Amino acid sequence: MRWCLALLLSCLLAAVNALSSSGSRLLVVLDESTEKSAYSTLWSDLEGRGYDVSFESPKSDKLSLFQHGERAYDHLLILPPKSKGLGPNLTPKSILEFLNKDGNILLALSGKASTSSAVSSLLLEIDIHLSNDRSSVVVDHFNYDTVSAAEKHDVLLLQRPGPLRPDVKAFFDGEGILALPRVAPQTLGSDSALVAPILRAPATAYAYNPKEEMPSAEDIEGTGSQLNVVSAMQARNSARFTVLGSVEALEDQWFSASVKAPGGKKTPTVNREFAKQLTAWTFKETGVLKVGKIEHHLATEGEVATEDLNPKIYRIKNETVFSIEVSEYAYDKWVPFEVPGEDELQLEFTMLSPFHRLALEPTGRTETSTVYRAQFVTPDQHGIFSFRVNYKRPFLTNIEEKHEVTVRHFAHDEYPRSWAITGGWVWIAGLWSVIAGFLAFVLVWLYSAPVADKVKKTQ
Amino acid sequence: MPAKRHAASTTATPVPVAPATLSSGPPTLKTNASAAAIAQHVWEQYLANTPQRTLLLDAFMAFLVLVGGLQFLYCVLAGNYPFNAFLSGFSAAVGQFVLTASLRMQTSDSGSGSSSKPSSKGKNARFVDEDNQEQVSGTSHERAFADYIFGSLILHFFCINFIN
Repeated sequence: MRWCLALLLSCLLAAVNALSSSGSRLLVVLDESTEKSAYSTLWSDLEGRGYDVSFESPKSDKLSLFQHGERAYDHLLILPPKSKGLGPNLTPKSILEFLNKDGNILLALSGKASTSSAVSSLLLEIDIHLSNDRSSVVVDHFNYDTVSAAEKHDVLLLQRPGPLRPDVKAFFDGEGILALPRVAPQTLGSDSALVAPILRAPATAYAYNPKEEMPSAEDIEGTGSQLNVVSAMQARNSARFTVLGSVEALEDQWFSASVKAPGGKKTPTVNREFAKQLTAWTFKETGVLKVGKIEHHLATEGEVATEDLNPKIYRIKNETVFSIEVSEYAYDKWVPFEVPGEDELQLEFTMLSPFHRLALEPTGRTETSTVYRAQFVTPDQHGIFSFRVNYKRPFLTNIEEKHEVTVRHFAHDEYPRSWAITGGWVWIAGLWSVIAGFLAFVLVWLYSAPVADKVKKTQ
Repeated sequence: MPAKRHAASTTATPVPVAPATLSSGPPTLKTNASAAAIAQHVWEQYLANTPQRTLLLDAFMAFLVLVGGLQFLYCVLAGNYPFNAFLSGFSAAVGQFVLTASLRMQTSDSGSGSSSKPSSKGKNARFVDEDNQEQVSGTSHERAFADYIFGSLILHFFCINFIN
C-alpha cells in the first residue's frame, strides 16, 4: 500500500517537474469553440511543453476555478469574450482568490471591441488601469505594419524588450520584430511595487478611440512609453498576473506573418517565440527562484563538522559564515541562479533593524544551484538576531528567508589576558612596581626597626 | 579658653622657640631670609629632625606618587584601552599611597609628638596623657604595621585579579 502511494507521489512529482514549476493544469477561457482554431499553434505549443489544456466558455455552468475549496487549475488564460463581462463564474473576486491561492493568470485584451467593466475593475484591483472608455487602441505613425495596416497604423511593430532596469534579468529579450495588432493600452499605477511593464509602446505611439469621429487632443490619456502593451503583476505570494494588450498577436496568422515597417524590409514576426516567453514566464517556467541548503557556522579552517553547523547560539564578535544555495527554474529544470550584473543578493543580520547588510558573493555552484556566501563578524551586541535574505525583484519570485539565532556576550574566561594586550603593559609594569616597591619597603622597614627605636629613645 | 589661646600662641611661633630646643641641625634663620633660604632651612630641618622610618615612608610615598603620575600620564597620552589595566595599575598606586599615609600618621605621631602633643591637644588631653603615656597614639607601631601589611595584601590581591 505504502510503496503504491510512494510510486504515485513520485509519478506526480515527475509530472510536475516535467514543465512548469507549479503545476500543469491550464484552463483557457474562450468565448466560442470556433475561436479556438484561430490559436491552434499556441495550443499545440503549450501542450508540447506539457500543459493539460482544457477549454471552457465563460458562460458555461461547469466552469469553476475551485473544487472543494482548492484550485481546480494551476494556470488560467483568459481571452477577451465577445459578450459583456466574463460571466457569473469568473467574477473579479473569484479571479483574485485564484491569484491568492498561487494560481497564475494570463489575461488577453483586444482593441477590437471595448473591454468589459468586470475586467476593468479586476485590473483596477491590481493597479493596472485601462483608458476611461475602455475601447482605445494604440496607434503609431512611425512603427506600423505597412502590409496589413497601411491606413489605420494600428498594427505596432516592436523590438522585443530588453531588461527593465540594468539590475533586472531580461526574460523577454531576443532578436526579431513583434507585430501587435490593435493593442488595448494599459497604464500602471505608480504606487505599487508589484506591477512592472513587460513591453512599453514606442515613444511615438498614442492611444485613441477609433469609434469617435473626431479624436481630440484633450482625450489622450497617455502617450508614448507611458502606455504599456504588456504589463505584469507579481503578487506577494509570487503568483503572476500578466496583461497582454493584443490577443490577436497570439493568433496563428500573426505567428507566421511577414511584416514590413515603413522604410524597412519585409521580415517574419517573432510572435511565436514571444508568446512562448510570455506564457512561460506567466505560468512559472522561468524566473522562479528556489532556496536550497542554508548553512551558517563559525569561520574555521578546513571542513566544518556537521554538529557545528547551524548552531543556535553565537557569541558577540564571532567570525561567522553564512551560505545559501539558490536555484532558478529554466523551462524544464533547475539551473544555478546568477544575480544580474548590477544587482546583488544581500544578507541581513538583524535584531529589529539590520546590524549588517552584506553582499552575498557567489563562491561555488552545484549542478542545480549557486552557492552564495558571506563572512562577517557578529556585532558587539547580544540578543536574538536573525539571518535574513530578502530578495524581491521584478519578474523573479520572492525569496524571504529568516533564521533566528541567539548572540550571547563574552563568558568571563573568554576575554584576552592582560599581557596579550600590548597597550596595557605600562599599567601592568606600574602595578608590579608598586608591589615590588611595597616588598622592598617592608624589608627595609623591618631592617631599620632597631635604629628607629634608638632614635625614639634618644628623643 | 585661655589654655587654648596659650596653645595657639606656642604653635604659631615655633621658629624663635625652636633653636633653643634643637639638639642638632642647621643654624637658625634670620627674620628676613629669602624664600630659597627658607626652603633650604625647612628641608634641612626635615632631614635632621625626622626619624629614619618616617623618612623611609616619605621616600616610598614619593615613589608611589611618581609611579601613579606616570601611569596617569600614559593614560592621557596613549588612551585608556585596556581600561581595567589602567584602573588597577593606577588604583594600586593610589591605594598603596593612602595606606602608607595612614601608616605614617600612626607611626610618626608618637615619634616626634612627645614634645608637641600636650600643647596640640587641649587641657583634657593633657590629663589623659598624664594618666597613661603608653596609649597616646591609640595603636602600637607593630599593630599599625600589621594592619598596613594586611590592607596592602588585600589591595594587591584585588588589583592583580582585576588586571586579569
